[in-house]
Amino acid sequence: MKVKVVTRILEANERIAAENRRIFDEAGVYVINLMSAPGAGKTSLLERTIKEINKKLRVAVIEGDIAGAQDAERIGNLGTPVIQINTGGACHLDANMINEVLGELPLNETELLFVENVGNLVCPAEFNVGEDMKMMLLSITEGDDKPLKYPLMFQESSVLILNKLDLLEYTNVNIDKIKKDAMSLNPSIKIFEISCKTDEGISEWTDWLVKKVK
Amino acid sequence: MHEVSVALSVLDIAAENCKKAGYGRIDSIRLKIGRASGVMTDALLFAFEAIKIDTIAAGAIVIIDEIPVGGSCAGCGKDFVTEEAYVFCCPECGGLSFKVNTGRELEIIDMEVS
Repeated sequence: MKVKVVTRILEANERIAAENRRIFDEAGVYVINLMSAPGAGKTSLLERTIKEINKKLRVAVIEGDIAGAQDAERIGNLGTPVIQINTGGACHLDANMINEVLGELPLNETELLFVENVGNLVCPAEFNVGEDMKMMLLSITEGDDKPLKYPLMFQESSVLILNKLDLLEYTNVNIDKIKKDAMSLNPSIKIFEISCKTDEGISEWTDWLVKKVK
Repeated sequence: MHEVSVALSVLDIAAENCKKAGYGRIDSIRLKIGRASGVMTDALLFAFEAIKIDTIAAGAIVIIDEIPVGGSCAGCGKDFVTEEAYVFCCPECGGLSFKVNTGRELEIIDMEVS
């Protein structure tokens, strides 16, 4: 006996992501899923961004890490509502992990929620969590070969931020190659070049972000 | 990348559909997997063999239809299908205004139950 199924295999995650999305929409929260390799500067970017925009937007953060709460402490020090998720080994956040902590966040007083994913250039791109936008951060010291080595991440992201611009002179990285390869994978990707250390490019990024969310 | 979780989802969905149809045994499950889905078919088949033991799918085989990456290009107006998993420019004209339409599938199509 043949049974027709025609079901997406990751449907369970998609269903919960859609439920999260409904909750976010009802509360009027814009959600950004922030992804990068470990050490690219996700938490530094959030610190710099929050300091720049916290008079204009009410921000909250969900921190995803395999273990530890250092990132949440850094965000908490800014007075920003933050929840730490420890995945206990899992290499990405999924929709269900986000769903479980939503009750702990002041969603009705939040306009912008950053979900800082586990540092990893592969798996986070495959799991929607109910976000409005996926965004990736690449520190230039990771090398200009990354778009062609990790294409899915670049294809899924609407925004690419290149960080650690202050280190450019110490490397042989070709930023134009990163941009060209990223654009060929994803012609509509929006690219910003910044340094969280020197603040170069930060205001261009935050001006754009505030307009996008408002 | 997540072949074990994918295999577990396949088993869950198949078992639910089998019971819903009023049957107690799954003989085969047919999947549609795109070449750019990030799932390695060998690893998925291996994972399924490991998790199916002592379930209603214990005797089931998994059949995979691999879907190549295909799309269309606004630049040259042509459709394309390629052997590559990722497309960086239109294989026909080399332009960048192309859209990928197939190759990311990850679906259960149907199954044989008894």
